Amino acid sequence: MFSRWNWVAYGFYLVLNICSPDASSGLVQSCGHIIPESPVLALGSNFTALCILNESCLDFGNIYASQIIWKIKNRLVPKEQYREINRTVSSVTFNDTSALATPLTCNILADGQIEQNIYGITVTVGLPPEKPKNLSCIVHQVSRFTYVMTCTWNPGRHTFLDTQFKLRYSWPEEIFPDCIPKDVNNSCTITDIQFFVNTEIWVEATNALGQAESDPLVVDPIDIVKPLSPQNVSVSSGVLPTVLKLSWENWISDAVMTLKFNIRYRIVGDTNWMEVPSEDTASPRTSFSVQGLRPYTEYVFSIRCMKEDGEGYWSDWSEEKTGITPEDQPSKGPPIWRIIDTSRSPASCWTVHLVWKALKPFEANGVILQYEVTVRDKSSLSSPVKKYNVTSTNHTLQLPEGTYEVTLIARNNVGASPPSVLLIPASNSKAPVKNLRTLPKHDKLWVGWTAPNSYVLKYVIEWCLVSSSSDCIIEWQIALGDVQGIDLKGIKPFKCYLITVYPLYADGQGSGQSVKAYLKQDRPSKGPTVQTKKVGKAEAVLTWNHLTVEEQNGFIRNYTILYKTIDGNETVVTVDPSKTEYTLSSLTSDTLYTVRMMASTDNGSRTGPDFTFTTQKFGKGEIEAIVVPVCLAFLLIVLLGVLFCFNKRDLIKKHIWPIVPDPSKSNIAQWSPQVPAKHNFNSKDQMYPEGSFTDVSVVEIEADDKKSFSEQDLKPFDLLKKEKSTSEGHSSGIGGSSCMSSPRQSVSDSDEGETTQNTSSTVQYSTVVLNGYRDQTPLQVFSRSESTQPLLDSEERSEDHSGGADTTEQRQQYFRQNGGQDETNTDRPCFERTKQITHANEEDLVGFVQLQISGQSSQPLGLGMEKNTQEAALSRVLQTCTEGQTVRPETVEENPLSVDEMPKSYLPQTVRQGGYMPQ
Amino acid sequence: MAAADSPSAALRRDLCSRGIRLAGKMRADVVDLLEAYVEQQGLDASASVAAVEGVPLAAVERWDEQTGTQRLLENLAAYRAFRALLAQMLEEQREQLGEADAGLGRALAAVLLQVSAFAYHLEELLRLESRGIPGEEEDGPPPPPRLSLFEQKLRGLGVLRELAQWAVRSVRDLRQLAKPGPATGAAPSPAENP
Repeated sequence: MFSRWNWVAYGFYLVLNICSPDASSGLVQSCGHIIPESPVLALGSNFTALCILNESCLDFGNIYASQIIWKIKNRLVPKEQYREINRTVSSVTFNDTSALATPLTCNILADGQIEQNIYGITVTVGLPPEKPKNLSCIVHQVSRFTYVMTCTWNPGRHTFLDTQFKLRYSWPEEIFPDCIPKDVNNSCTITDIQFFVNTEIWVEATNALGQAESDPLVVDPIDIVKPLSPQNVSVSSGVLPTVLKLSWENWISDAVMTLKFNIRYRIVGDTNWMEVPSEDTASPRTSFSVQGLRPYTEYVFSIRCMKEDGEGYWSDWSEEKTGITPEDQPSKGPPIWRIIDTSRSPASCWTVHLVWKALKPFEANGVILQYEVTVRDKSSLSSPVKKYNVTSTNHTLQLPEGTYEVTLIARNNVGASPPSVLLIPASNSKAPVKNLRTLPKHDKLWVGWTAPNSYVLKYVIEWCLVSSSSDCIIEWQIALGDVQGIDLKGIKPFKCYLITVYPLYADGQGSGQSVKAYLKQDRPSKGPTVQTKKVGKAEAVLTWNHLTVEEQNGFIRNYTILYKTIDGNETVVTVDPSKTEYTLSSLTSDTLYTVRMMASTDNGSRTGPDFTFTTQKFGKGEIEAIVVPVCLAFLLIVLLGVLFCFNKRDLIKKHIWPIVPDPSKSNIAQWSPQVPAKHNFNSKDQMYPEGSFTDVSVVEIEADDKKSFSEQDLKPFDLLKKEKSTSEGHSSGIGGSSCMSSPRQSVSDSDEGETTQNTSSTVQYSTVVLNGYRDQTPLQVFSRSESTQPLLDSEERSEDHSGGADTTEQRQQYFRQNGGQDETNTDRPCFERTKQITHANEEDLVGFVQLQISGQSSQPLGLGMEKNTQEAALSRVLQTCTEGQTVRPETVEENPLSVDEMPKSYLPQTVRQGGYMPQ
Repeated sequence: MAAADSPSAALRRDLCSRGIRLAGKMRADVVDLLEAYVEQQGLDASASVAAVEGVPLAAVERWDEQTGTQRLLENLAAYRAFRALLAQMLEEQREQLGEADAGLGRALAAVLLQVSAFAYHLEELLRLESRGIPGEEEDGPPPPPRLSLFEQKLRGLGVLRELAQWAVRSVRDLRQLAKPGPATGAAPSPAENP
């Protein structure tokens, strides 16, 4: 119970203690305090503080020094820095004050770990002042009698403390009041300065941590004076045109100090000052006459002063005053030149433009009032001298051609200039300058030449800006005869100038030598525009225009042509700058080319726009060279063919229009089938016993009307469909062509291929064998033949050989023909067969078409054929030669005639025109 | 020549030179101050003023026969007197005009400083002469009697006039002392009389 009340009382006490503003004098007394109170400490030094508890608190609050904790700005100080001196005093030590901060507080950690503040102090850390250095003073003259001395110094490092600086000065027996700087710490101004006594000056710096003094400066203030500049400066001109008198007043009396001066002057508009030699103005004075000036020239003057012995400082320059020197007569005559214009003058007459330059101010020495021009005709002594008074700087005269002497005088208020003489000879026949050249020099263009051998009075240098759009405006300049080069001013960069130099002799004038020059070159402002003039197969003629002189910006050293195909490398060709045309060669035909052109000066290049062109596919005359020989060859072939045909007309006629035997004259015409023969088509052996063929004849039946291809005629095809195996036997030899074998083979089964092959190897020719000729009973045998030999031939030959030809021999002949694989052997039957085809009438064709329509494709008919190589070859030849199916109808047409209807056709019922004559 | 090159000789020469220029400036300033003073005090510039008590007269009959030391001592006595008189004038000036005419007060103070500085120069020269410097209290002028305002003005005019004359004489004295001679204590030749 007691303890509780005790704690309540303790808490109440602490609250009062903390809330009390003045613990010592208030109602509540503080429990302790810190020594020292708010110290100022040197940065980096060590520091120890003591917290002393009041005895009263010990008993009442039950607090002791062992419970004290130290804090720096709410940060606990490590307990290693504490030391309990006795039960009421605790100390804290800091080895380096730079770790300190404000506030430093002493606190109590009471029972229950309640932390209560006992006391706090403010710690100020800083540095003692450094010794001020570099003290220097200057005495400024403020007015005629007033001088102030301003001293400056280096205050040294920052002290972090309030540091007072004092400028002190004294005489040996008198100490003056201190000078306290205001707002600054490195300068102070003393107003009551006295001269002629050595004064000791020094600076004191003081703060809470110490004091420092600068080294003393002992000086007589008169030796560090910066006087006011002379006042009321005036400039007056005297009698002499080259002298101006400068007057002024000094602010300082000679009793204080004697002065020396500096005088500077310059021409108005010029920035460079000239100075009067210092030794001329080293003594006290209030005026000075400046000599050696130019007449009629406005000058600006300024003056300054300082102590005569050189101790102290120069004053500022005085205000500037101007003065003009008096006029004088012109010092030289104006440079004169002429431009002779013969184009606008009548014959034998000149228009002479006399031009001269206004004298420069330092030559005119005043205002030029007028020019006096005198012209004397030197070719005629009796001619009067003509005088002209001109106020401008040019004069135009109409003069007959001749030699003239022109004299020019400039006149001002004071007098006349020396005369300038120009000799205008009848012709410029004297020697010119040699080796004319130019060289850029910064913003000037130097023109140099080698003097002629003769003595030259002077040179005239003409130049003008070359322009493509305007005339050349001539500028000129005169150089003395002993120089061999001048600088041309006012030359613009990147512009072309035409420069001409004339030597002037005492008795005439040399011809001009010209050169073109640039002050500075640049790359062209644009590139040449190239285009094609002519494009061939492998070459193209390019053309372009020269750049105008304004576009060139320099000397065009070369043109560069760059051309390439779309995907090819670029080819570069350099072209002489004088050319405007170039032929590109070795181009690829029928190719798109891109070409551009680059103009180059010494300082760069510029490329013009791209131009594209396509080379031609054929060169010039190439088409003609191909077409004409081809045509000629064709004509020659045709001609040869015609000649050949003409020579072989009989042979051709024989093939084209073969001699058809007259059936009426045929032996068969005598034949009458008394006993119809019965054919057994089932056995070849029976039908075609070997050696039973005695003769071969061809029977050609012409069908005049459609009835010949009646349904009966087509029956054999039906038979073919049904009896494929027997179709071979029904193959017609009529037509006599091996080409007819195609339809025959088309109806052969594959099973019969071997048979067919065997047959073809043994029986190559179909023969209609007639046994029982005339008186005998005719035996009609149809034998299949693979021969390509026209039957008509056989017929003819059979006739020619009276039908007694050896069949074996004949067969062998045919075998040779068929066995040959050369084209002649194959062509010939084809050709012959084609001719036969031509005999097939339209009804035959129709019959063939009908055959196809009937549903029996002709294709199967050809399958069996392929098994016979010879027949296949022939078939190919057939297809190649006929290029159509016109052959097929013939073969197809012939088959029915030779199979089923044949027996009927042999019946002598009807005698047709051109047909059989029934016996 | 060797003596001329010694440090003491150089210091003496420097002191003489500086003193000459100081006396010259002092004269110029006193002349200017006289004009301002006459105008300010409403006096006639041609008014005759009796000799100021306690100030030795600048004019002396046998000036050229004086030794250097004599010259220095007379100058020192005169300028010490002037220093006291000018200090009194400055105080009276401030009492009369307050800060109304600060320019005249500043000019008086400046002349007072120059007088003090010149007295310092003279003392330094006497030290170089190895002479004892007389005590100021012993040789100083007696305290001036209490005067009327007009009398104060007239006395001030007299002080300034006498100071201007002394300034001229001091320049000549120091020039005499500055000349290299066998002995500074020897009397100068008659040809060099002012």
